[in-house]
Amino acid sequence: MRALLLAVWVTLLPLQAQPKIQRFTLPNGLRVLHLEDHEHPLVRVRLLLRIDPGDTPSGRQGLSLLLLRMLGHAETADLKAEDLDRLLEESGIQLVSSLNPEGLSWQLVARSRDQDRALGLLGDRLLRTLFSSSVLMTQRLAAAQLVEAPGDLPQDRLQQALQGDPATRPTQASLGAITVEDLLAFHAKVVRPDRAVVVLHGDLGLEQAKRLVLLNLGTWTAQEPPAHSVQALPIDPDTPTPTPGSPSRMPLPGSDLRIQALAPRPGDLSPETASLLALLIPGDARLQPVRMTLANRQLLATLDAEPGTAASAWSLFQGRLASFRDRGFTQADLDRARRAWLAGRSLDSLHPEAQMESALAEVLGLGVAEARVKELTLEQLNAGLRAWLDPAAFRIGAAGDPEDLKVLPKP
Amino acid sequence: MRLLIPVLITALGLQAQVPRASEVQERRLANGARLLLVERRGPTAFQATLVFQGGRAEETPATAGATDLLAWALYGTTWPEDLEPGKAQASLEALLKQEEGLLEALRLERLRLRRDPAATTQLASLAASLGEVQARLQALCSSSPLADAYTARGGRQRAEATADALVAQTELPQEAFEFWCKTEAQRLRSMQLSRFAQARASLTTELRIKGIQGMALLRGAALPGHPYGRDLADYLPALEALRWSELRAYAHRALRPDRLTIILIGSFNLESALPLVEHHLGSLPLPPDGEEAVLPEIPADLGDRKVQAALEGGRRFLAGWRIPPRNHPDHLALRMAAQLLGGGQSSRLQARLARQKGLVQLAEVNLDVPGGRFPGLLVVDLKPADGHSLAEVEAALHSEILRLQQEPIPQEEWQRALAMLEADHLRILDEPSALARALGMAWAEAGDWRSMELDIQRLRLLAPEAVQAAARAWLTPSHRTKVLLEPTPGASQDPVEKELTRVLKALAAIRIQDLAQREQLVAEGIRQLRMLNPEERLRTLKLLAAQLPPEKP
Repeated sequence: MRALLLAVWVTLLPLQAQPKIQRFTLPNGLRVLHLEDHEHPLVRVRLLLRIDPGDTPSGRQGLSLLLLRMLGHAETADLKAEDLDRLLEESGIQLVSSLNPEGLSWQLVARSRDQDRALGLLGDRLLRTLFSSSVLMTQRLAAAQLVEAPGDLPQDRLQQALQGDPATRPTQASLGAITVEDLLAFHAKVVRPDRAVVVLHGDLGLEQAKRLVLLNLGTWTAQEPPAHSVQALPIDPDTPTPTPGSPSRMPLPGSDLRIQALAPRPGDLSPETASLLALLIPGDARLQPVRMTLANRQLLATLDAEPGTAASAWSLFQGRLASFRDRGFTQADLDRARRAWLAGRSLDSLHPEAQMESALAEVLGLGVAEARVKELTLEQLNAGLRAWLDPAAFRIGAAGDPEDLKVLPKP
Repeated sequence: MRLLIPVLITALGLQAQVPRASEVQERRLANGARLLLVERRGPTAFQATLVFQGGRAEETPATAGATDLLAWALYGTTWPEDLEPGKAQASLEALLKQEEGLLEALRLERLRLRRDPAATTQLASLAASLGEVQARLQALCSSSPLADAYTARGGRQRAEATADALVAQTELPQEAFEFWCKTEAQRLRSMQLSRFAQARASLTTELRIKGIQGMALLRGAALPGHPYGRDLADYLPALEALRWSELRAYAHRALRPDRLTIILIGSFNLESALPLVEHHLGSLPLPPDGEEAVLPEIPADLGDRKVQAALEGGRRFLAGWRIPPRNHPDHLALRMAAQLLGGGQSSRLQARLARQKGLVQLAEVNLDVPGGRFPGLLVVDLKPADGHSLAEVEAALHSEILRLQQEPIPQEEWQRALAMLEADHLRILDEPSALARALGMAWAEAGDWRSMELDIQRLRLLAPEAVQAAARAWLTPSHRTKVLLEPTPGASQDPVEKELTRVLKALAAIRIQDLAQREQLVAEGIRQLRMLNPEERLRTLKLLAAQLPPEKP
């Protein structure tokens, strides 16, 4: 009897220890990934709603940001926004929404006993469409403040100014042009189950997961867009359009000089090449005194210099990046990166969020395949390096004393 | 056989519902270091955390910044040349000594030139010699990030300097556990710090860039003379004078095994992990006892203090109350008070000040600023909404504090705050790096890692009256320091405010002779403008601009 008990336990343990991804799709087209893990009585949910750049009409940049804010503050007849927050907090449920390069994302963590309530409230927040114009005004103002003044430190503002594609970055004008009708049309267009992926992780079995999602998101159906259609705003010929490579300048009298270049990840760079380059580039001492870091899939090169040295700092900055790009990596570098990547995959087993991220990346076609990592050649790696550090794609900015900024080349 | 199902159900049910911080196993190593081990089934990697009690609070003015430098230069990376004893290391050490001498000579030469700019200087030759030594050093040191011993094995590490501890966290694949034990012991034996010069340069640059911060002003005014009140940005000259050999000596004194707690989380069992940890880290020598740092005691009721400052950035109102350390009986009640005031969207400050009254854009409450080992601060940070003054915000906060002290706390609100704290605790248990950090900081701040779990149990037994009593005892004007921040006129990023500053200056120049009066008028005008909503601001700007004489072609 004891032996049998032990045998059953031994069989059960690895099942619980290694969450396997299980997939299912609801009749409404909602794709669901499930990772079962009973280590703690917690359930985590990630809901991603994909948004493509083409979804936002010209002149309405910031629709996604505003929709996210409106969903967080919208009310229904029987449930006010603050009531919803109170219901979440009564159960200690954490719900965070964010806007990322893939689309709109909601992350939820709840005790497993509160999973029904948690997913129900997430569904409620997502599907509410009672947008009032007074809430829109407040949220438009808040979004504009977020866009215009993202941080107290000028250096943070510099980095923020370089983030995001200048062509799709919201402005006060584009936010001001968005109406309730625009939001409703955008909501109908993008808040659809067939555009969403849900990842569930934690203390719930597959059948329980199916029941939970079906119950709370099974009735979610795509809406017909309202008769109103969003007209693209005519482009004012006097408004300068920011272009890649145009530097931002932040005058800070008496301050040290900081030069930054942000290199967005090229769209055609394979996930495997990007993963190995992410191990090889940030922190490479050959770039010193330029520091390279990786954040949000973008490389950021930074050089700090003393006041009065702008010309030499600028030439050093450019020279280091160019020589690093031209020199490339060796076969030994590639082999080391490959070994490190293969070994490092096990670290995900420590972090539930990383496991969910990885499952999601796979569904979105951004997952890194071991076989392709092994097949990657040195030529492909160096081609990827040159594409990523292509000066034509850099967004360059500087903060420092106005006299130093004058010395830097004009945009 | 029938027994099997109930046994399994019971076991699985228990496993699913009970948070198990109590699974922490503790052992003392021969040299006094503590080992805490948390077994997790399944992960193919492990999390290892080293927590050295001490931190910034134990730095002297001469060693200010040493903990930050150690986080950067000792634990930021793991270079083979810092670990491997042998010939290469001997030459590396010789070069590091030369670099130290030249850096100091350059610093002194710059100081001499500052005093006597006309003096003949050796600056150029010293800089050239330093460049030469640093080039030779660079040739001996690894350049690729993949030369880092942990990165090459698929691992990652990070280190953090706090007021009460130095925390170094590493994650590695499970098979690298023995390598980790050996590496960490070797790191502490050699204390090579080969990247000292870069670390110090980076830290000083970062501090210069950050400049004066509102929170630093608050700490300095609320905790005068105590290391908790120190702003590292004020100690840049000391940091620039700190030498490589001095930092090594400091590290040998501060990073002692008897002030170290090692926390391991992963698929370990104590029987297999302990011998390896004991062999490598337990054999580290214990230096002779140094002098115990004597820190000044600041009376909590120092009196109501107020600081007004014009800084970069937006308007803010900060209030900090001196509160007792983490192991004080009232601390838990103050933690609950902080949760009621600012924990979550339905907390009092969010619900009443932000949502209902629209007075603030942002409300945050932080406990144990900057640390919890000694008396620290409970800080409320409020960002006024457009059209509302700092005085309004201050008055509204005062009302909320009085409400907390005097009005009974509704049961529903109490349960909500408790549920949020319990859920936070559960999330910490679920995330290895958060769990390790929480255990380590509980030990470093309260003296016992068990307080992490005990606190949550005690919170369930806490009565609302105890929170009100603690609020009445500690959140009083005599314990309070206020900081009112207004942006420097003209330094704002708001284009309307910039333009208004320009217009006001031009108008003042026409009408007022006295320069001080002009400045006062501009500052007052800007202050008034900040009280208006965006439309009113634009209207005011247009009205004022219309009073300016037309510009000459």
